[in-house]
Amino acid sequence: MAYLAAFHWGWLLASLLLGFAMGWIAVVHRGPGVSRAMARWLALLVAALVAASVANVMPGRPGYWLELGLIMLAPYLVGCAVGSWLRDWVLSRSVPAKPGA
Amino acid sequence: MHGLFRWSSKWWPGLIPLLVFWLIAAWTNTVALESDLAARSGAALKDTVLDKTRVAVEGRDVTLAADAFSEDGRRGAVALVEAVPGVRLVNDETRLVPEAKPFVWSAERDVVRVTLGGSAPLPATKGRMLEVARASLGGVEVVDQMSLARGAPPRFDNAAQLLIEQIAKLKDGKITISDSNVTLSGMARDLGGREAIAAALKNLPEGFKVANDIKAPPYVFQAYKDPVAVTLTLSGYVPDNNAHAALVAAAGRKFFNEKVVDNLKASVGAPSGFAAAVVPALGALSRLSTGTLVVSDREVKLSGDALYDAAATQVRAGPGRDFPQGFQYKAEISVKPAAAPVDGTVCQQLFSELLSKGSIRFEPARAVIDPDSAGLLDRLIETALRCPAAMIEIAGHTDTDGDDASNQALSEKRAQAVADYLVKAGLPPDRFTAVGYGSTQPVAGNDTDEGKAQNRRIEFLVR
Repeated sequence: MAYLAAFHWGWLLASLLLGFAMGWIAVVHRGPGVSRAMARWLALLVAALVAASVANVMPGRPGYWLELGLIMLAPYLVGCAVGSWLRDWVLSRSVPAKPGA
Repeated sequence: MHGLFRWSSKWWPGLIPLLVFWLIAAWTNTVALESDLAARSGAALKDTVLDKTRVAVEGRDVTLAADAFSEDGRRGAVALVEAVPGVRLVNDETRLVPEAKPFVWSAERDVVRVTLGGSAPLPATKGRMLEVARASLGGVEVVDQMSLARGAPPRFDNAAQLLIEQIAKLKDGKITISDSNVTLSGMARDLGGREAIAAALKNLPEGFKVANDIKAPPYVFQAYKDPVAVTLTLSGYVPDNNAHAALVAAAGRKFFNEKVVDNLKASVGAPSGFAAAVVPALGALSRLSTGTLVVSDREVKLSGDALYDAAATQVRAGPGRDFPQGFQYKAEISVKPAAAPVDGTVCQQLFSELLSKGSIRFEPARAVIDPDSAGLLDRLIETALRCPAAMIEIAGHTDTDGDDASNQALSEKRAQAVADYLVKAGLPPDRFTAVGYGSTQPVAGNDTDEGKAQNRRIEFLVR
């Protein structure tokens, strides 16, 4: 894992920044979200993929690609969470400044 | 926390560029990652002893194929690759090198090349053997047909290295190690090569049994008696400088008339009894008018012309029991056509001429003719045959050493011994009278050794 992270640090950083940007936008985004049921299915899918990766089910190159995808997804999600939280924090600080809100 | 859930439902659009990122990363990094892991695996295996090592990487999975020389070595190599950071799985396709039974290694030399074949225990051993072969053989082509196998006898490396060095001493031949048995066959390059190889084989490590069947080129000695140039030419080999000097001295005694041309070289590898065979053979050659003596290993060949029938028979019969065992004597002797008859006066001249060039020798203080004088006696007999009507007095003389009575007796006995020799050669006994003069008729002063030697003599006088 450390080797993978060291080898792909550029891509992981890119994923983190992408996630941060997406998280930043998501707080004020007005478009459709993912339904709860769908989110549950997605979480299940990711869990299954992680399990497959840990168990080395996929051989050779596909196995590596799966790992690569998963370790890029992780910083993306972290970035999203940090971005959203920060945006929310920034917004909540600016709200009291508006009179009569 | 609730907010996070709410927001996370809106995170999905970012997955689309993330997917693009992932595809690009997979596209660009896969080959780079694989070659990085291959290089690291290769570096990890650098110090292991393996043959035919192949490392193939797919994703993070390494396929390791190699021939190992022990079970520990095989497992160790797999463990080393497993420990390389970044490697996920190792597909173990290693195997043990097959065990050779019997373990056979060979080095074969023909005219132009040396071929190393059979089994070698380790790649490093193989490399070292080729190195030693190239170093000890100079410019000769070395062909490697060795394969690797387990099961070499202990101390195989040392033995093989020593044997490779011996290949340089062979003209052609084969050296084989089969388990702990060493066999050598072929022809040594030089005289003495066989002995040098036998000496080197004593340094073989313990536990190796040797069957040495190396042959050496024949050990040749030649002597040619040329009646026209009046020379005796010696060529070929003698065992050492002492034997050389002794042989040349013997030739000088036996060939009283001829100049000895000495082209001999000293070399090891002579068959035992060499000198004991060559000296009597030279004696036989000295009795021929013209002839060639060839001693090749243990075969003595003499050819040429004897001076008269009885001499031919004696020379053909060979030196008899004086000849060392194991030597073969072959004589092709013809008889020189008899020279034209002459009268007594010419005979006397010829006798005097012969006896001025050489003298009949005896054992000290005895009336036994020295075999070295056989050549001279044959010429005297040949001369006597040319004047069948002449009556010949054989006169014995001594120096002044000792009392007169014994000198008188000795001179008579010696003269009689010569007369007997002539009769034995087929001359009629009534032609000869043996007379002893003791020391009464000196031809030189008796005060020096040279003078005494001149006074000790046999004279032939035609009456």
